Amino acid sequence: MNEVCFKNLDQKDPWSLKTYEANGGYSVWRKILKGELTPEQIIDELKTSGLRGRGGAGFPTGLKWSFMPRNADMQKYVVCNSDEGEPGTCKDRDILRYNPHSVIEGMAIGGFVMNATKGYNYIRGEFMEPFYRFEDALKEAYAAGLLGENLDGSSVSFDLYAHLGAGAYICGEETALLESLEGKKGQPRFKPPFPANIGLFGMPTTINNTESFASVPDILANGGQWFADIGVENSGGCKLFSVTGHVNEPANFEVPMGLPFKDLLEMAGGIREGRTLKAVIPGGSSTPVLTAEAAMAMTMDYDGIEKAGSMLGAGSVIIMDDSTCMVETLTRLAHFYYDESCGQCTPCREGTGWLYRVLKRIMDGNGKADDIDLLMGVQDKIMGNTICALGDAAAMPVESFLRCFREEFEYYIEHGKSMVKG
Amino acid sequence: MADIEIEIDGNVVNAKAGEMLIAVTDREGISVPRFCYHKKLSIAANCRMCLVDVEGAPKPQPACSTPIADGMKIHTQNEKAKASQKAVMEFLLINHPLDCPICDQGGECELQDVAMDYGSDVSRFTEGKRIVADSDIGALIQTDMTRCIHCTRCVRFGAEVAGIMEMGGTGRGEDMKIEPFLEEGIQSELSGNMIDVCPVGALTSKPFRYELRSWQMNAVSNIARHDLVGSSIYTQTYKGKVKRIVAKDNESVNETWISDRDRFSYEGLSHENRLLAPQIKVEGKWQEVEWNVALDFALRGLANNVFNARQADQLGALASNTATLEEFHLLQKILREVGSENIDHRLNIKDLNNAISLESNIKLAGLEGVDHALVIGSNLRLEQPMISHRLRKANLSGASVDVINAMAFDFNYRLNSENIIPPHQTAATLAGVLKSVLQSAQAEIPEYLSDIEVSDVATQLANKLSDSDNSVIVLGEHVINNPQASSIANLINEIAQQTNSTTLNLSASGNSTAANLSCFVPGKGGLDVNAMLAADLKAYILLDVYPQYDFHNSVQAVESLSNDDTFVISLNSFKDDAVAQYSNVLLPIASFYETSGSHVNVEGKVQSFSAAVNAPSDAKPAWKVLKVLADLLELPGFHYADSTQVTTEVMHQSHKQHVHDESIDVKVKRGINIIWQKSPYAVDVLSRHAASLQATKIGQINSASMNKATAKKLEVTQDDKYLGVPVVVSESVANNCVFVNSNHSTGGQS
Amino acid sequence: MISTKAKKQIDAWVAKYPEGRQSSAVMEALKIVQAENDNSLTSDSIQAVADYLDMPGIAAAEVATFYENYNHKPVGKYTIRFCHNISCMLNGADDLIAHLEKKIGVKTGDVTPDGLVNVKKVECLGACVGAPMFQIGDQYYENLTADKIDEIVDGLK
Repeated sequence: MNEVCFKNLDQKDPWSLKTYEANGGYSVWRKILKGELTPEQIIDELKTSGLRGRGGAGFPTGLKWSFMPRNADMQKYVVCNSDEGEPGTCKDRDILRYNPHSVIEGMAIGGFVMNATKGYNYIRGEFMEPFYRFEDALKEAYAAGLLGENLDGSSVSFDLYAHLGAGAYICGEETALLESLEGKKGQPRFKPPFPANIGLFGMPTTINNTESFASVPDILANGGQWFADIGVENSGGCKLFSVTGHVNEPANFEVPMGLPFKDLLEMAGGIREGRTLKAVIPGGSSTPVLTAEAAMAMTMDYDGIEKAGSMLGAGSVIIMDDSTCMVETLTRLAHFYYDESCGQCTPCREGTGWLYRVLKRIMDGNGKADDIDLLMGVQDKIMGNTICALGDAAAMPVESFLRCFREEFEYYIEHGKSMVKG
Repeated sequence: MADIEIEIDGNVVNAKAGEMLIAVTDREGISVPRFCYHKKLSIAANCRMCLVDVEGAPKPQPACSTPIADGMKIHTQNEKAKASQKAVMEFLLINHPLDCPICDQGGECELQDVAMDYGSDVSRFTEGKRIVADSDIGALIQTDMTRCIHCTRCVRFGAEVAGIMEMGGTGRGEDMKIEPFLEEGIQSELSGNMIDVCPVGALTSKPFRYELRSWQMNAVSNIARHDLVGSSIYTQTYKGKVKRIVAKDNESVNETWISDRDRFSYEGLSHENRLLAPQIKVEGKWQEVEWNVALDFALRGLANNVFNARQADQLGALASNTATLEEFHLLQKILREVGSENIDHRLNIKDLNNAISLESNIKLAGLEGVDHALVIGSNLRLEQPMISHRLRKANLSGASVDVINAMAFDFNYRLNSENIIPPHQTAATLAGVLKSVLQSAQAEIPEYLSDIEVSDVATQLANKLSDSDNSVIVLGEHVINNPQASSIANLINEIAQQTNSTTLNLSASGNSTAANLSCFVPGKGGLDVNAMLAADLKAYILLDVYPQYDFHNSVQAVESLSNDDTFVISLNSFKDDAVAQYSNVLLPIASFYETSGSHVNVEGKVQSFSAAVNAPSDAKPAWKVLKVLADLLELPGFHYADSTQVTTEVMHQSHKQHVHDESIDVKVKRGINIIWQKSPYAVDVLSRHAASLQATKIGQINSASMNKATAKKLEVTQDDKYLGVPVVVSESVANNCVFVNSNHSTGGQS
Repeated sequence: MISTKAKKQIDAWVAKYPEGRQSSAVMEALKIVQAENDNSLTSDSIQAVADYLDMPGIAAAEVATFYENYNHKPVGKYTIRFCHNISCMLNGADDLIAHLEKKIGVKTGDVTPDGLVNVKKVECLGACVGAPMFQIGDQYYENLTADKIDEIVDGLK
């Protein structure tokens, strides 16, 4: 446990350059500055490692980095997505608070690989403590000659800046993040063109999640195979899981991929006294909910969770015990997507509000017999028809809650009250 | 881009790799529904209405933003495509009010049309619909934002075409609201195009509000005559009235846009000031009479004052620049047939010996392709909106633009340099540019440039022109009465030849190109307008002249025309006190859109149009009045059945090359120079009577701008009036210069 | 409208972006100007920011109304941003919000008569392992209980 992003967690001032370097930090970066590593070698190691994007989409990082037109004669950018906001997720906050240098080194390496001499870390606007930590770490890195131009006399340059968001979940979507970074509303761009061709300020750009960047230095220090071996097939390495909800000791755990869910649940202190597990959302609020039965049989890796009927997402495991009213929970999630829809494209702008209003009406005791069909129909019409994934994210919980816990909804509609809470 | 083959609905279609699918389906006539897509705006892909099924893609793809690739198989009508399209339609309708019966867009609403094909007749949405408060965004556009479907066409139009981002989408999600930020409302001179691009009834024409349904009107293809472009429009008419004007696509002229002036000036047609009946003045009193009586009276006046004494040279003809090509032609033909060469349309030029002569040798569409432009003496945006738009497009694709003006104006793009130079130094500056060009080319320096010092500005302007492969020099309206106007034009001509630049002469207005084409200028032995007025001629035929707006010196003009022994026949579309004062006969004529004829734009394109409506009451098309007058005068060669025969005749007549003075005077003149210009919405009689245009901010521009030093010299302050126009003290004006933009008559000053 | 001090702060943000891309700093500039003006924005202050960054007023207004962290009507000296999303909800956020409303005597959205405090329900703040939680200023307060809330609120001056 806690082998990569969290390995210095229990040490003194884990966020300091001193602690980071004592743990072998910046050794890869220094090797690069000495000319001992090539971009191709790094991409190969990353491909071997099986590292997949930790923000939720799970796209192989090495492959992503190889898409950048590194020889294009224009400014290129690496951008870190620290706009953590998926309900149930709070791992990047801790990486920024306790291990900011791993993000800096990971981004610098990315910059070198993709020939991008500038980087931005987009940190969500509310994360002021992490922001200050990151800014301090940047100062340390600049002072130590680890960032800047022609570092250590080499031809390698990398400048890194922190950017702050201002409160919009959608900016976690990478193209919305780019719009926001350009000082605009965070409305996702349609693709193609992809950011690797036209990204930040119209230039080739690669965006990775905080945890992905933070994992890179150790992967390269210890070899891709080392990382791959920690995990299981198709899910290399370890992963941070935020375990929250009805558990005794909610926390972030960096554990090997493939860990049985029941072990993770145990690490979080298990279900509260006198209660039983009812449902699990395994990857953040956008991923389909699972019944207790499905969850208990699941392993925590991309394929394992998919097999159980959901997605690994950002690794945000939300635990619900038998005191949970699923109608209330879904209504709250529906409100979230309704509130956070950017408003750009029709199905999401109009559909999220519709879903929320129908659920709210059910909660108010005014549900109608055909409301479940209506909800299923509306979510199905959002699904797949929007510019970005927020539409799907709003649709999936509705579909899965209604599928797994239909009787609670039917009860609420019929009786005008919760089956669980009365 | 390579030619590739794709398959759409089972049919093989050829296309270019990388083209957007919707461009291909549009070209092939395959109907794909859409709201946000507009061929002249950037792609937004936000409405999702154009989702189609692309084989191999897991999700439906929007046709507007899907670049095609070889072998792609697309289904626009299969179950998957239809399901997505219907889903989007349902979402669009849940919050859209079903108020079609009271919506002005009804019958021409894209949403309504598409809903007929893709909508369901029963709504499953039983929640409350969104209501959006409206804001008053000005005199031209009516908002009904509850109907807005957030396609952002208007927002993109502002940012991308109008060049000022005025509308935006505030808020987010379901609460996103399309609105302007400032309470003053929309300011753009192209704002009305937002009405055309809005697919629903959210933005509609305010003057047209609640008037009629689109299907009740006849649409007549027409040409707008307010500027040097001649934009294509549709005049939409009902029961003999023009009710609305919308843009008509004409790629090489106005693309798909028109200016607000072109769109809203029609309101003037029904103004109470229209001249509706022929009148004659008997013993100082006006009487309404029948046409034959008025014409007879006119003939007798001409006979008494001119013909009986065999003094044809005592007859003059003057016309405003809004006349049609045919009208110019017939009037000059009458004069020449009776033996007079006293013909002129250049009423606003102070000294015609110093008149500008400069050819335009670039096409409007070609302006988009220039890599550099030097603009001299023009507030392009407000004077020639569509030309400004073309140049802006060039700028956005990388062209640099330098400006020499006497005052700083709002350009809606970034200028390479804006040189604020007093009018009396313009010639010297251009002389510097020419000298610099010649020096760089190591060419001989002519005598008149020997004393010229080449300033840094001149060098920079020269280098830019020399270094560009495709540059244009644009000469604007502000220079017409510059004491060295003719020299400035000649210098530009020289510079253009030396630097291989094209030239664009925008110093005239309206249909003046047609006036020149029909030789509506004095011939050998003839007098120009100023000479005529100074000579106190005995008779005139005036074509839609409004002295206080049209003449450079209206006081002198009115005085001269008012002589007791001067007989004035006025053909006017609107009543005017000064006209009534000096005229002996008033003949009511048709205004814009009430007559057939032709407009000739600055690139020489002759665009003919037919009448959309009849002139009101007893008013007649001027070409017919002139023809009858010629017949009554028993002149030969006026047997026209319709105006197109006149057009053919003009086009076949040999065009006399106008000889002009090529001398160049580059000395800096002393003193204060006044640039007097009609405000953008006061350029012609129709615009001046269009109430909504007049209510806009542009319509109310009325200021005599000068800097502090000049104001001190003239002993005026911010609260005063100068020449009857409110003073605005601003350091954006060059020294020793007063820039007047007047929305009322000049009072004879300049 | 924008103080010299604020301009300096904005300039520091502008310096992070390429030349001509100063509008990237608009989100921070709006926050800086908001902080200087009783924690809320007006059309005038939005326009001032737009002018300072040489961008259209409406573009700044779009940003100011899109993101959560801007206020467009008067707020208290302290805004308590209480998360009510799933993990916090599962851990009793709704009851605690009710408790807080009772404690300060005004409902969510209203400002206490002394202008000191207002409560705003917000979506996930990314501290779910510390649920229930809220934010005041830059500070997160996690693992909240009724007692802890009382103590925090009592400490606001």
